[in-house]
Amino acid sequence: MRSRITLLLKVAYARAYVRIKGGNREPSWVVWEILLPLLAVASVAYTYMILGAPREYIGFVVIGGAMISYWFNVIWGMGNALYWEKETGNLETFMITPAPLEGLLLGMALGGMFNTTLRALSIVLVGTMAFKASFNPSGLPAAFLIFVLTMVALYSLGMCIASIFLMYSRSGWRAAEVLQEPIMFLSGLYYPISIFPTLIQLLASSIPLTIGMDGIRRSLLLGYNLYDLRFHVISLSVMIPVLAYLAKRMLRYMELRAKVEGRLTLRWM
Amino acid sequence: MYSIETIELSRTFKRNKGRLIYALRDVNIKVRKGEIFGLLGPNGAGKTTLIRILATLLLPTSGKAYVLGYDVVGEANKVREVINVVSGGERSGYGIMTVKENLWYFTQLYGLSRRDGWRKVRELIELLGMEDFADIRLNRLSTGMIQKYNLARGLINDPKVLFLDEPTLGLDVEVAKYIRRLIRKLIKEDPERTIFLTTHYMAEAEELCDRIAIIHKGRIVALGSPEQLKKMICDELVYKLEVKGIYSKLGERLKEAGFSKAVSSKSDITTGLTSLRMVLSSEEEAEEVVKWLIGSGYKVISISKVEPSLEDVFLKLVGGKLSEE
Ligand SMILES: Nc1ncnc2c1ncn2[C@@H]1O[C@H](COP(=O)(O)OP(=O)(O)OP(=O)(O)O)[C@@H](O)[C@H]1O
Ligand SMILES: [Mg+2]
Repeated sequence: MRSRITLLLKVAYARAYVRIKGGNREPSWVVWEILLPLLAVASVAYTYMILGAPREYIGFVVIGGAMISYWFNVIWGMGNALYWEKETGNLETFMITPAPLEGLLLGMALGGMFNTTLRALSIVLVGTMAFKASFNPSGLPAAFLIFVLTMVALYSLGMCIASIFLMYSRSGWRAAEVLQEPIMFLSGLYYPISIFPTLIQLLASSIPLTIGMDGIRRSLLLGYNLYDLRFHVISLSVMIPVLAYLAKRMLRYMELRAKVEGRLTLRWM
Repeated sequence: MYSIETIELSRTFKRNKGRLIYALRDVNIKVRKGEIFGLLGPNGAGKTTLIRILATLLLPTSGKAYVLGYDVVGEANKVREVINVVSGGERSGYGIMTVKENLWYFTQLYGLSRRDGWRKVRELIELLGMEDFADIRLNRLSTGMIQKYNLARGLINDPKVLFLDEPTLGLDVEVAKYIRRLIRKLIKEDPERTIFLTTHYMAEAEELCDRIAIIHKGRIVALGSPEQLKKMICDELVYKLEVKGIYSKLGERLKEAGFSKAVSSKSDITTGLTSLRMVLSSEEEAEEVVKWLIGSGYKVISISKVEPSLEDVFLKLVGGKLSEE
């Protein structure tokens, strides 16, 4: 058991290494990963500034922009992760080794998180310096805890999506494309979700991103402490084991299907 | 204990309209430690399917299979520790990483420490003579280099049972020779090791393998050492005939005419000739064939008796050629 966990961590480290080192080898990654998202956030920030919105609004947008990068990484990076490994023939080579698939996914999550964090940090940095977004430092500890919980929940969700995409490939992508806009809308990227009716608020809160984003905004902009944010912490903590369990079950199911059917993708829809 | 043992192993696949096809049918083989065991068969015979089942990538429909005594279904993780698979033309790894980096990545999948991993990588680069391209990105390698890299990857865990699925596919003579030498060296180095290979090249099988199984439509139709297999046709005569003109279906027509089923034909556009190879039981039968050909309007240019080879065993059992070679 212990050696299985060591192996899992080793595999995760090695896969993250490949992701970070390989992914950043071409200098063009700076443009895609950092410059373009910065532009998107900058344009919204400018609009708010021109409209004469209060300074908090800028901070609000900057946090939203930083957090949404993780969501993009989860659906596009993690979601396609296994599918891409399959297409390149690496999944089969992986499956004849004793290494657990969870390690592969964890490694891709860590690698993706690393790159996305560079992006998120540059958004926050530019937001603070160029647009004078200001944050409340007393909310930092709460923001940090919520951030970590959000990441774990979000990337567990990403692992589920990876298995779904692998099995339903094309229709999976279409679903991701279709879902991208409504989720950006529901997650409250540019406005608080409290403006929505209760039912939609509930729906929106089922995505860890929404809760995380809301919690971090409350802590960093309004200075809420952990007690004020207990419901955020509790809901994220409940989501994590559920999503992690689901991810594991889906992986096992996917593996079994592959062995029974003789190939990994069946539905070319 | 056998290195590989299968008992009544079968695997079916669903084709369109729900039709079942047997990729493997009641396969029984026992491979001993230290053997180089060859699996010969035409396209679609079930070779890769058998390797995939033994490598825990595919479940059998019925029957049992064991690798070093471990059940490939129930003890997949134990099996994965001791095996590795290399396929001709495979491209596993990450194109943007170098050969070295890729190999190191694969060492980690077997739980080697970081230092041991790098040491293993150096060892393998030396063993396969890859110094020249160890620091080159994978997506810039030639086919021959890739196959060396693949073999290096296949040796990372010092597999006790190594599966090679057409290891010299598409390689030039030099690299293919190099790889055959390596295969022999691997067995010499570790007498406990077993190599299970599939190939399209009859000469390769004959040169390398201690024993060969011939597989046709999912069934093992013959099994033995190359000498034993050749004895199967020692009472028979093998003839080579040349006919003027290009007749791609001539072999089929001879079969239809009721002559030996063991016939293959090959047309050569550059010389404008069709050559036939037939396994026959007597000289009289050869005369009959020639008479029939002339009677049907073909121009027979030459006929000669040749030494039977493994190719003819195959011809006799399967009624066709193994490859276009
Ligand atoms: N995943 C699959 N789904 C459906 N049919 C399959 C699958 N894999 C193999 N088959 C079928 O099983 C049969 C055996 O295939 P296999 O790949 O084992 O042949 P092979 O001997 O390796 O051939 P080749 O020399 O061309 O590599 C073929 O008819 C093939 O179409
Ligand atoms: Mg094959």
